[in-house]
Amino acid sequence: MSSTFWMRCLALGLLWPLAAPAQAPAAPPKAAACVACHGPNGNATLPLNPILAGQTARYLYLQLRDFQEGRRSDPQMSPMVKDLSRDEMRALADYFAAQKPAPQNFKVDAQKARLGRAKSEETLCTMCHLGGFAGQNEIPRVAGQNYDYVVKQLRDFKDKRRTNDAGNMTSVSRTLSDTDIENIGHFLAGL
Amino acid sequence: MAFNASSVTRTWMAAAALALAWPCAMAQEVQGAAAPTGAPVPKSISVPQARLDGAARDGANFLHSNGSYEQTRYYSASQINTGNVAKLKPAFVFQTEVVESMETAPIVVDGIMYLTTSYNHVYAVDAATGKEFWHYKHKQGPVTTYCCGPNNRGVAIMGDRVFMGTLDAKLLALDAKTGKVLWATQIADPELGYSETMAPVAVNGKVLIGTNGGEYGVRGFVKAFDASDGKLLWTFHSIPEKGHEGVWAVNDATGRNMLRDIETEKKQLTDKGGDFYKTLGGGVWMAPAVDRATNTVFFVVGNPSPDLYGAERPGDNLYTNSMVAVDLDTGNYKWHYQYIAHDVWDLDAVSPVILTEAKDKAGKMRKVAIHGGKTGHVYVHDRATGELIRFSQAMVPQENMWVLPTKDGKRMLPGANGGVEWSPMAINPKTRLVYAANLHQPMTYHVEEAKYPGGKLWLGGAFKAIPGEKQWGRLAAVNIDTGKMAWKFDTEQPLIGGVLATAGGLVFNGEGNGWFRAFDAASGKKLWEFQCGAGVNAPAVSYTVRGKQYIAVAAGGNTQLDFKRGNSVFVFALP
Repeated sequence: MSSTFWMRCLALGLLWPLAAPAQAPAAPPKAAACVACHGPNGNATLPLNPILAGQTARYLYLQLRDFQEGRRSDPQMSPMVKDLSRDEMRALADYFAAQKPAPQNFKVDAQKARLGRAKSEETLCTMCHLGGFAGQNEIPRVAGQNYDYVVKQLRDFKDKRRTNDAGNMTSVSRTLSDTDIENIGHFLAGL
Repeated sequence: MAFNASSVTRTWMAAAALALAWPCAMAQEVQGAAAPTGAPVPKSISVPQARLDGAARDGANFLHSNGSYEQTRYYSASQINTGNVAKLKPAFVFQTEVVESMETAPIVVDGIMYLTTSYNHVYAVDAATGKEFWHYKHKQGPVTTYCCGPNNRGVAIMGDRVFMGTLDAKLLALDAKTGKVLWATQIADPELGYSETMAPVAVNGKVLIGTNGGEYGVRGFVKAFDASDGKLLWTFHSIPEKGHEGVWAVNDATGRNMLRDIETEKKQLTDKGGDFYKTLGGGVWMAPAVDRATNTVFFVVGNPSPDLYGAERPGDNLYTNSMVAVDLDTGNYKWHYQYIAHDVWDLDAVSPVILTEAKDKAGKMRKVAIHGGKTGHVYVHDRATGELIRFSQAMVPQENMWVLPTKDGKRMLPGANGGVEWSPMAINPKTRLVYAANLHQPMTYHVEEAKYPGGKLWLGGAFKAIPGEKQWGRLAAVNIDTGKMAWKFDTEQPLIGGVLATAGGLVFNGEGNGWFRAFDAASGKKLWEFQCGAGVNAPAVSYTVRGKQYIAVAAGGNTQLDFKRGNSVFVFALP
């Protein structure tokens, strides 16, 4: 991949919210419950929780559906989604997808991020997550995501605690050491 | 479908280009409006059944995505021929507004061309000048699920309307004159992995369409809808509720042992029951052929889900990887022939069925149905019974068949894209040859346990291209009476897109690097080529307007194999 490619992708990441519906939707009533953990406008400040702002609507919707149908479980999320209708899920997904990601507070270690980038290139992450880690269809945007959340997800995939991806990420993460995972976390948080 | 599927690999190979295309693509999708823009076609369009039936002999029009109900892709005009093709020049280039993978086979009726793009745009264009009439953009629903690019392979036409399947699994009827939507029917639930990229087939008041989704745990089908109002008439499930375990076949269609552990499979079936038919895959994602004399529909069925992890689905997984014949009026089963039972390599049957005649082993001419496999073989069947009369010599290298996938990956050839992918073949009844666009992509097959993920990508492992191993393409001409390869033309790029043959003794085929070529149908000699500037990965068509024959082909590149994207249909004629 060329550097032009990367630059285009980075630009794409920044532009992502503009590609969402032209009129940003008003906060749906149920969004109030989300921000307690996921932060104002979905900019989670609790590091173990994912940033939802700017995530793709399709990914958010599919994860809500998976939580509700038990393919993904979490002590906090599972009860929260229990009674959501499909329309409510779509409204939440559209709303958070349209929010602007706030700048990250996490202190990225430049050396670790470099190693993380190299490992991610070797692992072909962007083949599914797309250049700039912008996400597509059911594959999430992970650029700028919280470090602790990313590290936890990669470990969960590796140890098969999270399986709602049908094994693709398990396949990928079995080749990653703990250090690799931490380095990738630094790299992604800094994007 | 292979991912269409083959997902990861394809995604893999595709990613770089896809990323670049994504911003425009998203915008188009979001902004898509459900009303056509532009002007009506300045004449009335009406295609009665008799014209559709006579399409194979119609030297003026191209009325079906594969030329005729028999899908021979043999065009009967010969103004452009081996003697003059070297002088072929572009007449015009029609540019769409969608710069993304083009797999469309334009259809042409009375000088009007109907072409489609990725994301379900349809254009009505003057087929002699390129002047645009109307332009329809489909507004997709909130979830669309497709493995291998937002492709569309074209419309069907009947009466005064054109029909298109959409990525969000709808079937639309558009007014051929204005592009206005006359009806829209939801075919299946896109959240469960159903989507449409194939061209439908319109016949006798019905519109026939299958589904994508072999990588998403769908239950495949072919459905017939009423062309007048979009109401469902019948459904043939490509996965039967009972009996999908089949006969516990040991060998594939060519007699090679598939290394199945049948005792273990039988135990798995006893333990878990056969309820997994609901997610067993078996997409039907290319246009079916129709035998009007016997009222029979012929199609091939794609791979089982999940692609690589077979423990989830013990048995032969009928009717995956099979040719199937059903009754046109009722959708009732007539026969099937399975090429690979319990496939764990995504070597599904895709390239559309061709109906023609070929010699049987005793030298007697029989009505046959032909399929070009991802395995690299052309299979010739008796049309009435499905009996396999012959399979051709392998058109591409085969190696290590049928080694089972492992966690660390096993190398086997062909790779998961073939052989012959979805690319339609063409035949020339005079040369007795069938022309097939093949690819060679060495891959390793990796398996990983994976439970049904609820309509998301479900491979149960990965296909990986092998770094450093050369990939290439091969246009192969195979004698349908003998199964022997008569000639081949090797290309730098793996071939995907399909072939056109004409009565001018020509064969047309394109390559991902932009070259579009004409060959002598008898000898395979390259007679002409033109650089289109983007991947030519769609099947060419031909038609005649006011006495002038044209050859048209889309050059939009390909997502699955990551060939350079474009947005154009090139139209050629003699000066």
